[in-house]
Amino acid sequence: MSRPDWIVLVLTLLGIIAYGLYKSRTSRDLDGYFLANRSVPWYMVLLGIMGTQASAVTFLSAPGQAYTDGMRFVQYYFGLPLAMVVLCITFVPAFHRLKIYTAYEFLEQRFDLKTRTLTSFLFLLQRGLSTGISISAPSIILSSLLGWDIIWTNIFMGGLLIIYAVTGGARAIAYTQQLQLIIIFAGMFVAGYMVIHRLPEGVGLSEALHIGGKAGKLNIITTGISENGFDWNDRYNLFSGIIGGFFLALSYFGTDQSQVGRYLTARSVSESRLGLLMNGFVKVPMQFFILLLGVLVFTFYQFNPEPVFFNQAQLDLLSRSKYKDSLVLLERSYAETEALRIKHVTASSSLQVQQITAAKDGYRSTVKRWLKDKEVGGDDNDTNYIFLRFVFDYLPKGLIGLLIAVIFLAAWGSISATLNSLSSCTIVDFHKRFSKPLSQEKEFRLSRIYTFFWGVFCVAVAQLAYNLGNSLIEAVNVLGSLFYGVILGIFLVAFYRKRVGATAVFISAIITEAFVILLNVLGRKGIVSLSFLWFNLVGAVGVVLLSELIQKFMKKAPVAAASPE
Amino acid sequence: MDMEEQEEQSPLFKKWGTWYRLVIGFLVLLILFFYFLTKHFS
Repeated sequence: MSRPDWIVLVLTLLGIIAYGLYKSRTSRDLDGYFLANRSVPWYMVLLGIMGTQASAVTFLSAPGQAYTDGMRFVQYYFGLPLAMVVLCITFVPAFHRLKIYTAYEFLEQRFDLKTRTLTSFLFLLQRGLSTGISISAPSIILSSLLGWDIIWTNIFMGGLLIIYAVTGGARAIAYTQQLQLIIIFAGMFVAGYMVIHRLPEGVGLSEALHIGGKAGKLNIITTGISENGFDWNDRYNLFSGIIGGFFLALSYFGTDQSQVGRYLTARSVSESRLGLLMNGFVKVPMQFFILLLGVLVFTFYQFNPEPVFFNQAQLDLLSRSKYKDSLVLLERSYAETEALRIKHVTASSSLQVQQITAAKDGYRSTVKRWLKDKEVGGDDNDTNYIFLRFVFDYLPKGLIGLLIAVIFLAAWGSISATLNSLSSCTIVDFHKRFSKPLSQEKEFRLSRIYTFFWGVFCVAVAQLAYNLGNSLIEAVNVLGSLFYGVILGIFLVAFYRKRVGATAVFISAIITEAFVILLNVLGRKGIVSLSFLWFNLVGAVGVVLLSELIQKFMKKAPVAAASPE
Repeated sequence: MDMEEQEEQSPLFKKWGTWYRLVIGFLVLLILFFYFLTKHFS
């Protein structure tokens, strides 16, 4: 990176930390530290929700996803607006009325202590590990592209934000998320403008979309239905997006403390509702535009030489392997093919372009096959590197620094809110619940200590993830979809099935969880073909139906302690 | 409906139901628009 890039990057990051510390003044109790004294307006709730959901990988992966697979990934978010409506009707008023700190407190009031402890523990386990991965994933990409040391990258990615997250709690996090999102959107907008600006003369946005569309990249709506019927293993289509996405969004926003903690900071039920509903309006268009950036980058590379593989570190790995001589020959032939392809694209000779593109894809497949070779042990997926590679190769000095800052800020916004929620569950659901009464000052100091502890834990997991490679990353990604549905099922029973008591819901949760894990194992062995988005539906519906059934066999109907109405 | 909900009126509209219908209606419009884009540029 050049000096102007470093200046922009360092100033942006230091500015955010300073702003976070400036906004750190809060009352020294749990209400101030975890809920910002329930004083936040709806637009800050909205930005908090968006900043918590959008991690660094969102901005790295999504353009690459559109580049390789088209824009159909946007359908993944179609269930989100529907989930926002259900949350506003049921979850939000109940959580506000009970004046709780964590979503799991509600479960003790409605069911019993063991149900609360189980769900809170599942949250801490899943969220603690997945936050480590959300530090690790962008760190690996940046260290690979820039040659930075991975330990220091992990510490900067997951460690610097601890300064303001520990000091100022929810209030500092809410204010920094606001500023972070403004910088992120500005950075992405400028990047989009620059892609269009760098297209050849006579190729504007409309032409770029036609080129992307012809290549199948504007496959925004797909049904997943073919001559063989509906493909249950197809991840992104209209039906899995609306139904599976609805259950995923409902469980994430309704039962994951990192999100619940954001809208509990609102000054009233109305402000919480407005923040969530506005998220229902803006989330799908926002994802659409991020994906569109990927299609524009795709169009750009139709007129410019595309790297044979976007992750240079993996090419370097190959050049040190038994394939080093073959790679030299392949790269030479590939460069000639690319030059020929661009010449024909410019001359609009579509038949020749198709033939040359097929040859070009053949070179890419060969590189991927070499990387998959066990002796090489490389990573054959370069989707996450596409956008940043474009940034490094074609954007001007200064702007590169800004876009690297965008990656850091996206990570910080998401991680800081999660650390706050991990700390709130640890102290409210465990420490305070199982120990002697504490003074407000002691609770406040412990909350800070737990925030710091979770920050260090997540950075350590990030380092472990790097050392263990893809296996742990995949395992943790699956972990979320395994638990979310069941946790949502417990909450749905709490809200909508008043006849069902604690024991019935607890037993049904354990059985359904075992069933979902079994489905995953069978899926990995190829016996069952079901995409992970459907696990959320299976888990939630399984707990609701099974708990009703078990309750019928139990002698006495329970009395709900904390009814939602 | 409890007391708190009665006290908290919806901004702009008389009922929160209007907001909910707007969010769902906007989603339907977006899906139709995306369908048009998919067909138009394919």
